[in-house]
Formats: sequence, C-alpha cells, structure tokens
Amino acid sequence: MSAIGIFDSVQLTAIAEEVFAAMVDGEPGLLLPWWDGPATVTDPLHAWVDLHASYTGRVLLTTDAATADDLARALLGMDAAEVVSEADLVDAFGEVANVVGGNLKALLPEQGKLTMPLVSRQPPSHEGAFQLDEVLLAWRGRPLVISVWNL
Amino acid sequence: MLRVVIADDSRVMRQIVIRTLRQAGYDWEITEAADGALALEIVAAEQPDLVLSDWNMPNMTGIELLRALRASGDDVPFGFVTSEGSPEMRGEAEAAGALFLVAKPFTAESFRDVIEPVLA
Repeated sequence: MSAIGIFDSVQLTAIAEEVFAAMVDGEPGLLLPWWDGPATVTDPLHAWVDLHASYTGRVLLTTDAATADDLARALLGMDAAEVVSEADLVDAFGEVANVVGGNLKALLPEQGKLTMPLVSRQPPSHEGAFQLDEVLLAWRGRPLVISVWNL
Repeated sequence: MLRVVIADDSRVMRQIVIRTLRQAGYDWEITEAADGALALEIVAAEQPDLVLSDWNMPNMTGIELLRALRASGDDVPFGFVTSEGSPEMRGEAEAAGALFLVAKPFTAESFRDVIEPVLA
C-alpha cells in the first residue's frame, strides 16, 4: 500500500466535515455523505494539492462551478446575489483543497511537502496514477467529490 | 490598539482570519501581506505588535520569514496560521521562535487560546 493509502473514506469524510463546519459554514451538518444515489457534476471545477515525500500523492476536490461560486460566497461572507470574481473563485476553492490536503497530510507518518493549490476547469493529468479513495459528499445538497491519488 | 500583520497568499484566507479575530474579540489594526517577502518588508517598516503568518506561501514561506526576522534581530511576536499542524511542523516553528501554531480550520476559540497568553 502507498504511504498515502492509509486514509479511508471515514477519515476523508470526517476531515472534510470538520473543515467545512469551521471554515465555510460556521456550523456542522451542511456537508454530509451523499445518500441520493449517483450524482453528476455537469460543469466541473477541480482544485487539488500534491504531497511530495518518498511517494507523491494528490488530494483532488471536484464540484460544479456554481457550487464553487457559493463556496466562495460563504467563505467571503458575500450575499447570494453578489458576483464572485474569477480570482476569488480560484482562491476560495483552492484554499479549501489546501486545508483539506493539509489536514490529511498531518495524519501521515512521513511528512514531506505540500504544494500550492491549483484550480482548473480541466482535471489534472492522472496518467500513470491510480486512485486510492474517493468520497461523494453533499454540500448544501450539491455534490462534492474528494479523491486521493497515488501519482 | 494592537497593530498586526497577517501574511497569507490567499486573500480569502486573510479575510477569514480577520473575521475570526473579530469574532474572538480582537479589534486590531490589521495590515495584510500576500507573501512572506512582502510581510518582511512591512514588519521592518511598521514594527507591528504581532505577526500571524501562513506557512506555505510563494516567494518566501512563513518559516523563512520567521527565520529572516530573527536573523535580523527582530523579535516581533510571531504565530503561524497554517493548514498543516503536524508535530514536526510545530516543533520546527517553536525552534525558529514562533509562539504558537494555529491549524486551519480554526475557530474564534482557537485564536483566543493561543493569543490570550501572548497578551497577558
């Protein structure tokens, strides 16, 4: 097993729930496991950080761009009608990935280096990589996928 | 009023830190820095009462900022606010002269717990 493969779905979900409760929503219960069957992200935005140690891993978050807009509004205390700039969208979603990745990294026996977050409408290349785990979550009823990869 | 420098490359995170500090009851004069190099310039120019810094930033990381400050003889109180709170990083931060490390995600209580002893 890869060193990053120690995470399980329960840990991934617990860390994401903690991050969203404290940082995004200010209260628990708005990020939950997705129970409504298959979910489709139709207009995806991806945010990820990589972990470099004796292995290389990746923590990738994917959600709809409109959901990421609302994430940015929540983080910045903006009204629902306010327009989110591209810079704030990238900053906010990237920071969520950074905090989730940082908290997962803290669980690893070997530390290493966390990269700066990247955000793109195109998924990162996973050529030669394999997925170790994935959780499908619902933030305010909308899908958010968190996956962990060995690169 | 305390003058505080907040260094983080994420504007969103700087806003969250400022909002959480206010929730914790700290109505301070805040200067923002988008990376460690800018923070180093601001600290040298303004001599703040406290620096709150991210760890992982472009141009100059938080730990590089702290070491540069200490190497120049500046003993400004310094705390990290970072997404990585491993024991190794806490030890590295303490060895370099940081007073505390607050791991993201944080709450108002997280800040009060580490800042009250500094203010005492």
